[in-house]
Amino acid sequence: MDPSMIFAQFLSGLSRGMMLFLIASGLSLIFGVMNILNFAHAALWLVGAYFCYTFWYLMQGTALGLWFSIVLAALALAVVGWIIEVVLIRRVYNRELSEQLLLTYALVLIIDDLIKIVWGVEDKLIERPPVVADPVFIFGAPLDSYFVFVIIVGFGVAIGLWWFLKKTRYGHIVRASVFSREMVSALGIPIPRIYTGVFAMGIFIAGLAGAIQAPVGSITLGMDMAVIIQAFCVVVIGGLGSLLGTFVASLVVGEVYAFSILFWPEGALVLIFIVTALVLIIRPWGLFGTPVRT
Amino acid sequence: MKKYSWLVLIFIATLILPHVIGEFWIHVAIEILIFGLFAVSFNMLFGYMGQLSFGHAAYFGVGAYATGLLMLKTSVPLPVCLVFSMVAAGATALIFGYFCVRLTGIYFAILTMAFGQLIYYIIFQWYSFTGGDNGLQGIVPPEWLYNVKNYYYFTIFIVTAALIVMWFISESPFGYTMRAIRDNTERTRFIGINVRKYMLINFVVAGMFAGLAGGLLGPFTRSIAPDLCNWQQSGVPVFMTVIGGPLGFFGPMIGSVIYTFLFAFVTGFTEYWPLTIGLVIIFVVLYMPGGILGLVNEKMDSIKFKEQTGDLNNGLEKEA
Amino acid sequence: MAILKVEHLKKHFGGLQATNDINFEMKSGELSAIIGPNGAGKSTFFNLLTGYHKADSGRVFFKGKDITNWAPHKIVRLGIARAFQVSNIYPAITTYENVRQAILTKQKRTLNLFFSAERMAKEETTEFLEITGLSSFSNTIAGKLSQGDKKRLELAIALGCEPELLFLDEPTAGMSGEETLETMELVKRLNQKLGLTILFTEHDMPVVFGYAEHLTVLHLGSIIAQGRPEEVRKNETVQKIYLGEEA
Repeated sequence: MDPSMIFAQFLSGLSRGMMLFLIASGLSLIFGVMNILNFAHAALWLVGAYFCYTFWYLMQGTALGLWFSIVLAALALAVVGWIIEVVLIRRVYNRELSEQLLLTYALVLIIDDLIKIVWGVEDKLIERPPVVADPVFIFGAPLDSYFVFVIIVGFGVAIGLWWFLKKTRYGHIVRASVFSREMVSALGIPIPRIYTGVFAMGIFIAGLAGAIQAPVGSITLGMDMAVIIQAFCVVVIGGLGSLLGTFVASLVVGEVYAFSILFWPEGALVLIFIVTALVLIIRPWGLFGTPVRT
Repeated sequence: MKKYSWLVLIFIATLILPHVIGEFWIHVAIEILIFGLFAVSFNMLFGYMGQLSFGHAAYFGVGAYATGLLMLKTSVPLPVCLVFSMVAAGATALIFGYFCVRLTGIYFAILTMAFGQLIYYIIFQWYSFTGGDNGLQGIVPPEWLYNVKNYYYFTIFIVTAALIVMWFISESPFGYTMRAIRDNTERTRFIGINVRKYMLINFVVAGMFAGLAGGLLGPFTRSIAPDLCNWQQSGVPVFMTVIGGPLGFFGPMIGSVIYTFLFAFVTGFTEYWPLTIGLVIIFVVLYMPGGILGLVNEKMDSIKFKEQTGDLNNGLEKEA
Repeated sequence: MAILKVEHLKKHFGGLQATNDINFEMKSGELSAIIGPNGAGKSTFFNLLTGYHKADSGRVFFKGKDITNWAPHKIVRLGIARAFQVSNIYPAITTYENVRQAILTKQKRTLNLFFSAERMAKEETTEFLEITGLSSFSNTIAGKLSQGDKKRLELAIALGCEPELLFLDEPTAGMSGEETLETMELVKRLNQKLGLTILFTEHDMPVVFGYAEHLTVLHLGSIIAQGRPEEVRKNETVQKIYLGEEA
């Protein structure tokens, strides 16, 4: 096994990890702040991919159109997220865990069928823009140049979220509401509005992730099913609600996937489940989460 | 006694059923019974113990595969296969449950889901033993059960027996202890109960009955697939229980009737079943959180209230 | 014979030393109280003795057996029961079922999966309900009881465990004068007639001085005074600490 092949796998794992991070970060944000595990996160991610396709198509399928479409799709998803939060999620803030999970699970079923109705069952294909058509070579290992873009966006989102939560006033309010909803309300800041904003932001990121995924391979029905489980695993391993944890766990899972392809292709997901189960058993709050009494 | 007479009537009705409905609906009825049993076993964890398992289909699937494999590869009679299904499912539940009961709430839900997916992938990958994603085909029931009416009576017999056992368990001190664990876990520790041990026992029993239901499925549908174990399948008993009502013993069975009928009806004219059931679930969660049983209880309470205030009013009038 | 012996018990939470090298003893059949201002560490002390928290160091002995850091359910099975400060009852079931649950557990019948619980422990349950004056609320859903009645139910559940040593965390909190008297008379009866060793905490001073044989004063996690109530009362440090409270 020569080093450049290992390095190639490493890069592949890195980009896969970044994709996972883009999906999981929104999930983690929503759970961290609102304590709601959004089952429908991957379904919305998929809607983002389809929106991107449609916008790209409407812009006559140009390469420039693709970059616009990605942004538009993310914004569209933010609106969708906003609507879902106000109409549905808001009603189950104080309900039991099972009711919240069921609500978001039901959303998955609805969204998946709506995708079928609106976009039909055939795969959608977006043409690669010429700027990312050829691979780049890093230390002799080939990397799909689109993945360079993905990696950049991944870091961008990570840094953006970190900056938002740590450095902006709004981010401080969000973090305060995690500690004490009552205090934040008592200061005159309405919790529902914060939650709506956070949810919309989480879905924006999911939409962005979906739109970025769109040009990779083709867009197929049911893609979200495989992804949601991986996203759950990432969020659990990293720590529900921890941004750093999600980032690290995404990369770890991405690399585990990339390297198990070499030794045990079918076992990649099994391995990830075993790791997830181990984390839940030994340290349920994840690698970077805050310890809680279970 | 009144409550029991309803049940006896319903039981007699189910016995007469095959003679008045067509074969298609007998198939539906068997499906209702099998999945109803699956859902009632799930409710041992949810309604009684208070924990949401999103991986209960794992034990359903293990049970289905145990019976399926035995029937395809050996000549073990079906009733014995069903016992094996219960044992296999129970053993799986023991291994997974040992870890799951150390957690509660969202962590319990996710870990049960993860284990469910693990079983799914194991069955999926183990092509040589389980047939992988081709599943098992051609599981044929024994001759005396070949006729669907006979299989129906067989299912009624097994399911009724299982329900009676689960009913006794729910009314036993163990069952009440489960409810206590749900109501106030901490208090239960402080009256001397090893909560983890009890939760594990409950988990295994629930898994065994799910395995029994799975065992009944194979010879009925003649083929089984790894899909029986995945998290989408795990959602089915959850839906049924929520629709019927988790706080009553028969809630999940009522839910199974509604769900299965709805499924048979809706898929008759549209392929958008997920959309339909998704909307139904959202409606139930938002407006009928206690399910059908919850609604019935409310109505009965308000009737009782009216009766009581009616008496009060009469009394007041007499006084005046 | 010392039924309870605590040696050099310590517990800290973050930077706070909640229990600071406590040495404590109780004789069988004693009726004693622990008092101290809020934050003195009374509840933490109970929590350490009943297995709710793990101690940093030190030992707890019950009837000579080392029970330090045992799991709560094991401690209860040995003969120690506890009534919580904030009523920790089963809100969704009836008062009767609340008490019965404790009794069935004590009778080791909770692993019975096949016989109806309806018919079990009827006498014992009704008896405990009568003792605690809850008979008329037998069929009320416990969540709907008044605060004072919930406290009594809390006591009934603890009694249902048939303990030898009973910890009562503010047993009369939220009760009227009459209820307080009833409850404390009951506590006295349980101590004298059944030989129950009882340790209680209270903020109600008349109750403490009216019923405790032995008094321990906690302040910031340490014992600052111990002895008969009349002696403790005269202790200067104790007076200083309580001056604000008494006023």
